Amino acid sequence: MTSREKLFRSLVDDHQEMVVNTCYRFVFNREDAEDLAQDVFVEVFRSLDQFREEAKLSTWIYRIAVTKSLDHLRNLNRKKRFSSLKRIIGIRDPSEEIAAPSHDNPSNAFFSNERAKILQDALNTLPESQKTAFLLSKQEGFNNQEIADILKTSVSAVESLVHRAKKNLHNRLYAYYAEH
Amino acid sequence: MKQEKRMRQHNENIETEVSKTLKLLDEVASIQLTHKFRTSLMSRLEREIVQEKAGRHFGFRVDYRLAFMMLLFVINLGSTMLSVQQGDGSMATISAVPYNQTDDYSNQEFAYYDQTASYENQTPVIVQ
Repeated sequence: MTSREKLFRSLVDDHQEMVVNTCYRFVFNREDAEDLAQDVFVEVFRSLDQFREEAKLSTWIYRIAVTKSLDHLRNLNRKKRFSSLKRIIGIRDPSEEIAAPSHDNPSNAFFSNERAKILQDALNTLPESQKTAFLLSKQEGFNNQEIADILKTSVSAVESLVHRAKKNLHNRLYAYYAEH
Repeated sequence: MKQEKRMRQHNENIETEVSKTLKLLDEVASIQLTHKFRTSLMSRLEREIVQEKAGRHFGFRVDYRLAFMMLLFVINLGSTMLSVQQGDGSMATISAVPYNQTDDYSNQEFAYYDQTASYENQTPVIVQ
C-alpha cells in the first residue's frame, strides 16, 4: 500500500460519516446519499495530488460533497422536466412503471411522509446558495466559518444567506398552508 | 369581532403547520454507516487504483473526451484532404467563375431577347 493510499484510507475513516450526512441533507434519501458519498471519495482520491493547501482538507472534501449533491439535484430536476414533457407528447417512459423504492429503512421513511415532501418542495424553490447555506447550518458539526470556507465566502454573507433562506422558506410554506 | 377572531385563529393554525414542517430538519437523525458502504467504496477504490496503474504503465490515462475530439479532428482532416484531391482537375478556380457565368447567360438558350431582333424591320400595323 502506497503512502497516498494510506492517507486516503485515513481520510475515509475521518470524514465518511460527515460526507454521507451532508449529502443526505440535500437528497433526502439514504441510498442516493451513499452513492454520492462514494463519488465524492473517488473524486478525492483522483484529485488528491491537485489539492493545494489554500483550504483545509476537510473543507475541500465537504465542498466536493456539496457540489456533487447539487449536481445530483439538478439532474433529478432535468429528468423530471423531461419526463413531464414526454408525458405531454404522449411517449410512455418504462422507467416510470418501475415500483418506487420501499421505505422499510427508518431513515428513508422519515422523508417519505407528506410533510417532508412539502418541505423538500419548498427547499427546492430556494436559490442554490441560500439552500446550501441553510442546509449546512442545520447540520451538526458545521459552524458559520466552516460554511463560509466551503462556499468560499465571508461569515457575514453566510449569515445573510441563512437569514434570507429562513424567511423565504417560511413565506413559501405559509403560502402553501394558506392555500391547502 | 367574531370574524377577526376566526381569522386570527386561522393564521395561528397556519403558523403552527409551518413551524411543525420546519422542525423536521432539526429532527433528522444522522445516518449510521453500514459495513456495506465501506466495502463497496474500497472495492471501487481498488478498481480506480488498477485503472490508474494501467494508465501509468502505458504512459497515459484514457481520456475519452480527448480521444473523441481527436477522432473528430482526424475525420475532418481526412475529408478535407479527400475533397481537395478529388477536386483537383474538375473544380473551377474562383477566378474562372465570373467567366463561366457570363458564358452561361450568353448562350442561345438564355438569350431570349434576341427574338425581338426579327421585328426590327417590320412596320407596325395600325388597326383602325
